[in-house]
Amino acid sequence: MGKQFITGSLESSDCMVTLYETTTPVIEVDTIVHEAFHDHIVTLINDTLKAENMEHLSVRIQDKGALDYAIKARLLSAIEQYKDDSNG
Amino acid sequence: MARSYLFIPANEPRMLQNAYVFEADAIILDLEDSVAIEEKHEARFLARGFLRHHPRGSAKTYVRINTESDWLKQDLSMLEHVPIDGIVLPKLTLKMWNTYKKHAESIGVDTDIIGIVETPDAFFELDALGDKTPIKGLILGGEDLVSALKTTRSIEGRELLYPRSMVKMACARHGILAIDTPWTTLDETNLKTDIKHARTHGFDGKCAIHPNQVPLINEALSPSKESIDFARRVVEKHETTKSMRFSLDGQMIDKPVLARAKETLAKASRYGLLKEGLNENS
Repeated sequence: MGKQFITGSLESSDCMVTLYETTTPVIEVDTIVHEAFHDHIVTLINDTLKAENMEHLSVRIQDKGALDYAIKARLLSAIEQYKDDSNG
Repeated sequence: MARSYLFIPANEPRMLQNAYVFEADAIILDLEDSVAIEEKHEARFLARGFLRHHPRGSAKTYVRINTESDWLKQDLSMLEHVPIDGIVLPKLTLKMWNTYKKHAESIGVDTDIIGIVETPDAFFELDALGDKTPIKGLILGGEDLVSALKTTRSIEGRELLYPRSMVKMACARHGILAIDTPWTTLDETNLKTDIKHARTHGFDGKCAIHPNQVPLINEALSPSKESIDFARRVVEKHETTKSMRFSLDGQMIDKPVLARAKETLAKASRYGLLKEGLNENS
Protein backbone atom coordinates (compact mmCIF):
# COMPACT_ATOMS: atom_id res chain seq x y z
CA MET A 1 0.00 0.00 0.00
CA GLY A 2 1.35 3.43 -0.96
CA LYS A 3 0.72 6.78 0.63
CA GLN A 4 -2.67 7.18 2.28
CA PHE A 5 -4.95 10.20 2.24
CA ILE A 6 -7.37 10.18 5.15
CA THR A 7 -10.36 12.47 5.61
CA GLY A 8 -13.42 12.60 7.86
CA SER A 9 -13.91 11.12 11.29
CA LEU A 10 -15.54 8.25 13.13
CA GLU A 11 -18.06 10.56 14.76
CA SER A 12 -21.76 9.80 14.41
CA SER A 13 -23.19 10.84 11.01
CA ASP A 14 -19.67 11.07 9.56
CA CYS A 15 -17.34 8.64 7.83
CA MET A 16 -13.60 8.15 7.56
CA VAL A 17 -12.27 7.85 4.03
CA THR A 18 -8.86 6.36 3.25
CA LEU A 19 -7.65 6.80 -0.29
CA TYR A 20 -4.54 5.05 -1.59
CA GLU A 21 -2.84 3.65 -4.68
CA THR A 22 -2.60 -0.10 -5.27
CA THR A 23 -1.88 -2.25 -8.30
CA THR A 24 -5.45 -3.52 -8.23
CA PRO A 25 -8.02 -0.91 -7.07
CA VAL A 26 -10.46 -2.05 -4.40
CA ILE A 27 -13.38 -0.46 -2.61
CA GLU A 28 -14.03 -1.50 0.97
CA VAL A 29 -17.10 -0.26 2.81
CA ASP A 30 -17.57 -0.86 6.50
CA THR A 31 -20.89 0.66 7.47
CA ILE A 32 -23.28 0.58 10.40
CA VAL A 33 -26.12 0.42 7.87
CA HIS A 34 -24.68 -2.47 5.85
CA GLU A 35 -27.86 -4.21 4.74
CA ALA A 36 -29.64 -1.11 3.57
CA PHE A 37 -26.84 1.01 2.18
CA HIS A 38 -23.64 -0.99 1.48
CA ASP A 39 -24.28 -1.33 -2.24
CA HIS A 40 -25.52 2.24 -2.50
CA ILE A 41 -22.30 3.57 -0.92
CA VAL A 42 -20.15 1.43 -3.25
CA THR A 43 -22.02 2.89 -6.23
CA LEU A 44 -21.61 6.42 -4.85
CA ILE A 45 -17.84 5.89 -4.49
CA ASN A 46 -17.50 4.35 -7.93
CA ASP A 47 -19.46 7.18 -9.55
CA THR A 48 -17.38 9.83 -7.77
CA LEU A 49 -14.07 8.18 -8.69
CA LYS A 50 -15.22 7.91 -12.29
CA ALA A 51 -16.34 11.55 -12.44
CA GLU A 52 -12.93 12.60 -11.12
CA ASN A 53 -10.99 10.20 -13.40
CA MET A 54 -9.56 8.49 -10.33
CA GLU A 55 -10.70 4.93 -10.93
CA HIS A 56 -7.14 3.69 -10.44
CA LEU A 57 -7.34 4.50 -6.71
CA SER A 58 -8.49 2.30 -3.84
CA VAL A 59 -10.90 3.51 -1.19
CA ARG A 60 -11.73 2.28 2.29
CA ILE A 61 -14.71 3.83 4.04
CA GLN A 62 -15.64 3.42 7.69
CA ASP A 63 -19.16 4.79 7.74
CA LYS A 64 -20.97 5.92 10.87
CA GLY A 65 -24.24 6.80 9.19
CA ALA A 66 -23.06 9.64 6.95
CA LEU A 67 -25.45 11.00 4.34
CA ASP A 68 -24.50 10.85 0.66
CA TYR A 69 -23.32 14.45 0.48
CA ALA A 70 -20.96 13.88 3.42
CA ILE A 71 -19.49 10.67 2.01
CA LYS A 72 -18.95 12.33 -1.35
CA ALA A 73 -17.46 15.46 0.24
CA ARG A 74 -15.03 13.40 2.33
CA LEU A 75 -13.99 11.44 -0.78
CA LEU A 76 -13.59 14.57 -2.93
CA SER A 77 -11.47 16.14 -0.21
CA ALA A 78 -9.22 13.07 -0.13
CA ILE A 79 -8.96 13.10 -3.94
CA GLU A 80 -7.99 16.78 -3.86
CA GLN A 81 -5.25 16.01 -1.34
CA TYR A 82 -4.04 13.16 -3.56
CA LYS A 83 -3.96 15.50 -6.58
CA ASP A 84 -2.06 18.16 -4.65
CA ASP A 85 0.45 15.54 -3.50
CA SER A 86 0.83 14.13 -7.02
CA ASN A 87 1.46 17.60 -8.42
CA GLY A 88 4.27 18.08 -5.96
CA MET B 1 -34.83 39.68 8.29
CA ALA B 2 -34.19 37.10 10.99
CA ARG B 3 -34.27 36.98 14.77
CA SER B 4 -31.82 34.13 15.36
CA TYR B 5 -28.61 33.39 13.46
CA LEU B 6 -27.28 29.97 14.48
CA PHE B 7 -23.62 29.14 13.84
CA ILE B 8 -23.07 25.59 12.57
CA PRO B 9 -19.46 24.30 12.37
CA ALA B 10 -18.99 23.35 8.73
CA ASN B 11 -16.87 20.30 9.50
CA GLU B 12 -19.45 18.47 11.62
CA PRO B 13 -21.89 16.40 9.53
CA ARG B 14 -23.98 15.63 12.62
CA MET B 15 -24.64 19.34 13.12
CA LEU B 16 -24.98 20.09 9.42
CA GLN B 17 -27.69 17.53 8.76
CA ASN B 18 -29.70 18.91 11.68
CA ALA B 19 -29.05 22.55 10.79
CA TYR B 20 -32.61 23.24 9.73
CA VAL B 21 -34.39 21.46 12.57
CA PHE B 22 -33.41 23.90 15.32
CA GLU B 23 -35.91 26.51 14.03
CA ALA B 24 -33.35 29.30 13.70
CA ASP B 25 -34.48 31.98 11.28
CA ALA B 26 -31.00 31.86 9.74
CA ILE B 27 -28.08 29.48 9.88
CA ILE B 28 -24.43 30.40 9.37
CA LEU B 29 -22.19 27.55 8.23
CA ASP B 30 -18.89 28.41 9.82
CA LEU B 31 -15.60 27.92 8.01
CA GLU B 32 -13.80 30.31 10.36
CA ASP B 33 -13.34 30.15 14.13
CA SER B 34 -15.13 26.87 14.84
CA VAL B 35 -13.04 24.93 12.32
CA ALA B 36 -9.48 23.91 13.22
CA ILE B 37 -6.78 24.97 10.76
CA GLU B 38 -6.04 21.39 9.73
CA GLU B 39 -9.74 20.77 9.03
CA LYS B 40 -10.47 23.81 6.88
CA HIS B 41 -9.81 22.00 3.62
CA GLU B 42 -12.29 19.26 4.43
CA ALA B 43 -14.80 21.74 5.83
CA ARG B 44 -14.96 23.53 2.48
CA PHE B 45 -15.87 20.31 0.68
CA LEU B 46 -18.42 19.40 3.31
CA ALA B 47 -20.05 22.84 3.25
CA ARG B 48 -20.19 22.82 -0.53
CA GLY B 49 -21.68 19.32 -0.63
CA PHE B 50 -24.23 20.21 2.02
CA LEU B 51 -25.29 23.41 0.31
CA ARG B 52 -25.56 21.81 -3.10
CA HIS B 53 -27.22 18.53 -2.23
CA HIS B 54 -28.88 18.62 1.18
CA PRO B 55 -32.56 19.69 1.15
CA ARG B 56 -32.89 23.33 2.13
CA GLY B 57 -35.00 24.30 5.12
CA SER B 58 -36.85 27.56 5.47
CA ALA B 59 -33.98 29.29 7.30
CA LYS B 60 -31.83 31.81 5.48
CA THR B 61 -28.46 30.20 4.80
CA TYR B 62 -25.17 32.03 5.13
CA VAL B 63 -21.52 30.97 5.19
CA ARG B 64 -18.89 32.61 7.39
CA ILE B 65 -15.62 32.57 5.50
CA ASN B 66 -12.03 33.17 6.52
CA THR B 67 -10.34 36.49 5.84
CA GLU B 68 -6.70 35.39 5.66
CA SER B 69 -5.76 35.89 2.02
CA ASP B 70 -5.18 32.28 0.89
CA TRP B 71 -8.12 30.90 2.84
CA LEU B 72 -10.34 33.73 1.62
CA LYS B 73 -9.64 32.78 -1.99
CA GLN B 74 -10.13 29.08 -1.30
CA ASP B 75 -13.39 29.68 0.58
CA LEU B 76 -14.75 31.89 -2.19
CA SER B 77 -13.72 29.42 -4.89
CA MET B 78 -15.57 26.67 -3.05
CA LEU B 79 -18.71 28.82 -2.87
CA GLU B 80 -18.83 29.50 -6.60
CA HIS B 81 -22.23 28.42 -8.01
CA VAL B 82 -23.40 27.32 -4.57
CA PRO B 83 -26.90 28.43 -3.54
CA ILE B 84 -26.62 30.64 -0.44
CA ASP B 85 -28.35 33.76 0.82
CA GLY B 86 -25.11 35.48 1.62
CA ILE B 87 -21.62 35.48 3.06
CA VAL B 88 -20.74 36.47 6.60
CA LEU B 89 -17.49 38.41 6.45
CA PRO B 90 -15.59 38.55 9.75
CA LYS B 91 -13.18 41.25 10.85
CA LEU B 92 -14.86 43.72 8.51
CA THR B 93 -13.01 46.98 7.92
CA LEU B 94 -12.73 49.10 4.78
CA LYS B 95 -9.37 47.45 4.05
CA MET B 96 -10.90 44.00 4.48
CA TRP B 97 -13.83 45.00 2.31
CA ASN B 98 -11.53 46.02 -0.55
CA THR B 99 -9.61 42.74 -0.28
CA TYR B 100 -12.87 40.77 -0.29
CA LYS B 101 -14.25 42.66 -3.30
CA LYS B 102 -11.08 42.06 -5.31
CA HIS B 103 -11.15 38.32 -4.73
CA ALA B 104 -14.94 37.99 -5.05
CA GLU B 105 -14.96 39.79 -8.39
CA SER B 106 -12.07 37.75 -9.79
CA ILE B 107 -13.75 34.49 -8.77
CA GLY B 108 -17.24 35.61 -9.76
CA VAL B 109 -18.96 35.41 -6.38
CA ASP B 110 -21.76 37.96 -6.12
CA THR B 111 -23.99 37.62 -3.07
CA ASP B 112 -25.26 39.58 -0.09
CA ILE B 113 -22.83 40.29 2.74
CA ILE B 114 -23.29 40.49 6.47
CA GLY B 115 -20.16 41.92 8.03
CA ILE B 116 -18.89 41.28 11.53
CA VAL B 117 -17.49 44.39 13.16
CA GLU B 118 -15.15 43.32 15.92
CA THR B 119 -12.09 45.56 15.85
CA PRO B 120 -11.59 49.16 17.01
CA ASP B 121 -10.76 50.11 13.40
CA ALA B 122 -14.20 49.00 12.26
CA PHE B 123 -15.94 51.25 14.76
CA PHE B 124 -14.33 54.31 13.21
CA GLU B 125 -15.54 53.18 9.78
CA LEU B 126 -19.08 52.04 10.56
CA ASP B 127 -20.82 54.72 8.54
CA ALA B 128 -18.76 53.99 5.43
CA LEU B 129 -19.13 50.23 5.88
CA GLY B 130 -22.90 50.46 6.25
CA ASP B 131 -23.03 52.31 2.93
CA LYS B 132 -21.26 49.57 0.93
CA THR B 133 -23.24 47.47 -1.51
CA PRO B 134 -24.17 44.63 -1.04
CA ILE B 135 -23.67 44.79 2.74
CA LYS B 136 -27.12 43.96 4.13
CA GLY B 137 -26.31 43.86 7.81
CA LEU B 138 -23.69 44.19 10.52
CA ILE B 139 -23.02 41.75 13.34
CA LEU B 140 -21.47 43.11 16.51
CA GLY B 141 -18.55 40.79 17.28
CA GLY B 142 -18.50 41.34 21.01
CA GLU B 143 -15.95 38.76 22.09
CA ASP B 144 -13.12 39.93 19.83
CA LEU B 145 -13.97 43.54 20.49
CA VAL B 146 -13.78 43.29 24.28
CA SER B 147 -10.48 41.44 23.91
CA ALA B 148 -9.14 44.29 21.79
CA LEU B 149 -10.39 46.73 24.43
CA LYS B 150 -8.68 44.69 27.14
CA THR B 151 -11.88 44.04 29.02
CA THR B 152 -14.39 41.17 29.32
CA ARG B 153 -18.08 40.57 28.71
CA SER B 154 -20.35 41.13 31.67
CA ILE B 155 -23.98 40.36 32.24
CA GLU B 156 -24.65 44.07 32.75
CA GLY B 157 -23.24 44.68 29.28
CA ARG B 158 -21.83 48.11 30.08
CA GLU B 159 -18.65 47.35 28.11
CA LEU B 160 -20.79 46.96 24.97
CA LEU B 161 -23.20 49.83 25.58
CA TYR B 162 -21.40 52.22 23.24
CA PRO B 163 -20.49 49.63 20.55
CA ARG B 164 -24.09 48.39 20.46
CA SER B 165 -25.33 51.95 20.07
CA MET B 166 -22.81 52.66 17.32
CA VAL B 167 -23.67 49.52 15.34
CA LYS B 168 -27.39 50.13 15.62
CA MET B 169 -27.01 53.78 14.64
CA ALA B 170 -25.01 52.92 11.51
CA CYS B 171 -27.44 50.18 10.54
CA ALA B 172 -30.46 52.41 11.06
CA ARG B 173 -28.86 55.17 8.98
CA HIS B 174 -28.27 52.83 6.06
CA GLY B 175 -31.38 50.69 6.41
CA ILE B 176 -29.51 47.45 7.02
CA LEU B 177 -29.87 44.73 9.66
CA ALA B 178 -28.31 45.11 13.11
CA ILE B 179 -27.40 41.74 14.58
CA ASP B 180 -26.15 41.30 18.12
CA THR B 181 -23.15 39.34 19.33
CA PRO B 182 -23.76 35.85 20.74
CA TRP B 183 -23.83 35.13 24.45
CA THR B 184 -21.15 32.51 24.87
CA THR B 185 -22.25 30.58 27.93
CA LEU B 186 -25.31 28.36 28.03
CA ASP B 187 -27.01 29.62 31.19
CA GLU B 188 -30.54 30.64 30.33
CA THR B 189 -30.96 33.51 32.78
CA ASN B 190 -27.88 35.39 31.61
CA LEU B 191 -28.74 34.77 27.98
CA LYS B 192 -32.17 36.31 28.54
CA THR B 193 -30.53 39.37 30.09
CA ASP B 194 -28.13 39.68 27.17
CA ILE B 195 -30.98 39.40 24.67
CA LYS B 196 -32.69 42.25 26.52
CA HIS B 197 -29.63 44.41 25.86
CA ALA B 198 -30.00 43.66 22.15
CA ARG B 199 -33.70 44.39 22.24
CA THR B 200 -33.21 47.65 24.14
CA HIS B 201 -30.86 48.85 21.42
CA GLY B 202 -33.30 47.85 18.69
CA PHE B 203 -31.27 45.03 17.19
CA ASP B 204 -33.12 42.98 14.58
CA GLY B 205 -31.46 39.69 15.41
CA LYS B 206 -28.92 37.94 17.58
CA CYS B 207 -26.36 35.25 16.95
CA ALA B 208 -26.55 31.86 18.66
CA ILE B 209 -23.72 29.43 19.24
CA HIS B 210 -25.89 26.58 20.52
CA PRO B 211 -29.27 25.31 19.30
CA ASN B 212 -30.72 25.70 22.83
CA GLN B 213 -30.29 29.46 22.51
CA VAL B 214 -32.51 29.71 19.44
CA PRO B 215 -36.01 29.51 20.99
CA LEU B 216 -35.10 32.06 23.67
CA ILE B 217 -33.82 34.50 21.05
CA ASN B 218 -36.81 33.97 18.77
CA GLU B 219 -39.25 34.56 21.59
CA ALA B 220 -37.50 37.61 23.02
CA LEU B 221 -37.05 39.31 19.63
CA SER B 222 -40.65 38.74 18.56
CA PRO B 223 -43.34 41.32 19.27
CA SER B 224 -45.28 40.43 22.40
CA LYS B 225 -48.97 39.57 22.22
CA GLU B 226 -49.74 42.81 24.06
CA SER B 227 -47.72 44.92 21.62
CA ILE B 228 -49.36 43.21 18.64
CA ASP B 229 -52.81 43.85 20.07
CA PHE B 230 -52.00 47.50 20.78
CA ALA B 231 -50.45 47.98 17.33
CA ARG B 232 -53.51 46.48 15.67
CA ARG B 233 -55.81 48.84 17.54
CA VAL B 234 -53.61 51.84 16.70
CA VAL B 235 -53.71 51.01 13.00
CA GLU B 236 -57.44 50.26 13.06
CA LYS B 237 -58.25 53.56 14.75
CA HIS B 238 -56.02 55.45 12.32
CA GLU B 239 -57.75 53.80 9.37
CA THR B 240 -61.18 54.52 10.85
CA THR B 241 -60.56 58.15 11.79
CA LYS B 242 -57.98 58.97 9.07
CA SER B 243 -56.37 61.04 11.80
CA MET B 244 -52.60 61.26 12.33
CA ARG B 245 -53.07 62.36 15.91
CA PHE B 246 -55.44 60.76 18.37
CA SER B 247 -55.52 59.16 21.81
CA LEU B 248 -55.78 55.47 22.63
CA ASP B 249 -55.75 53.98 26.12
CA GLY B 250 -54.74 57.38 27.43
CA GLN B 251 -51.70 57.58 25.16
CA MET B 252 -51.28 60.19 22.47
CA ILE B 253 -50.73 58.53 19.11
CA ASP B 254 -48.91 60.44 16.41
CA LYS B 255 -46.84 59.68 13.32
CA PRO B 256 -43.86 57.87 14.93
CA VAL B 257 -46.13 55.76 17.15
CA LEU B 258 -48.23 54.83 14.12
CA ALA B 259 -45.08 53.92 12.19
CA ARG B 260 -43.93 51.69 15.06
CA ALA B 261 -47.35 50.05 15.20
CA LYS B 262 -47.18 49.23 11.50
CA GLU B 263 -43.65 47.87 11.93
CA THR B 264 -44.81 45.71 14.84
CA LEU B 265 -47.61 44.24 12.71
CA ALA B 266 -45.23 43.66 9.80
CA LYS B 267 -42.79 41.86 12.09
CA ALA B 268 -45.59 39.82 13.66
CA SER B 269 -46.79 38.84 10.19
CA ARG B 270 -43.27 37.87 9.12
CA TYR B 271 -42.89 35.54 12.09
CA GLY B 272 -46.36 34.03 11.81
CA LEU B 273 -47.67 35.70 14.96
CA LEU B 274 -50.44 37.82 13.51
CA LYS B 275 -52.93 35.04 12.90
CA GLU B 276 -52.35 33.74 16.40
CA GLY B 277 -53.08 37.17 17.83
CA LEU B 278 -56.25 37.55 15.77
CA ASN B 279 -57.57 34.18 16.89
CA GLU B 280 -56.99 35.07 20.51
CA ASN B 281 -58.95 38.25 20.18
CA SER B 282 -61.76 36.97 18.00
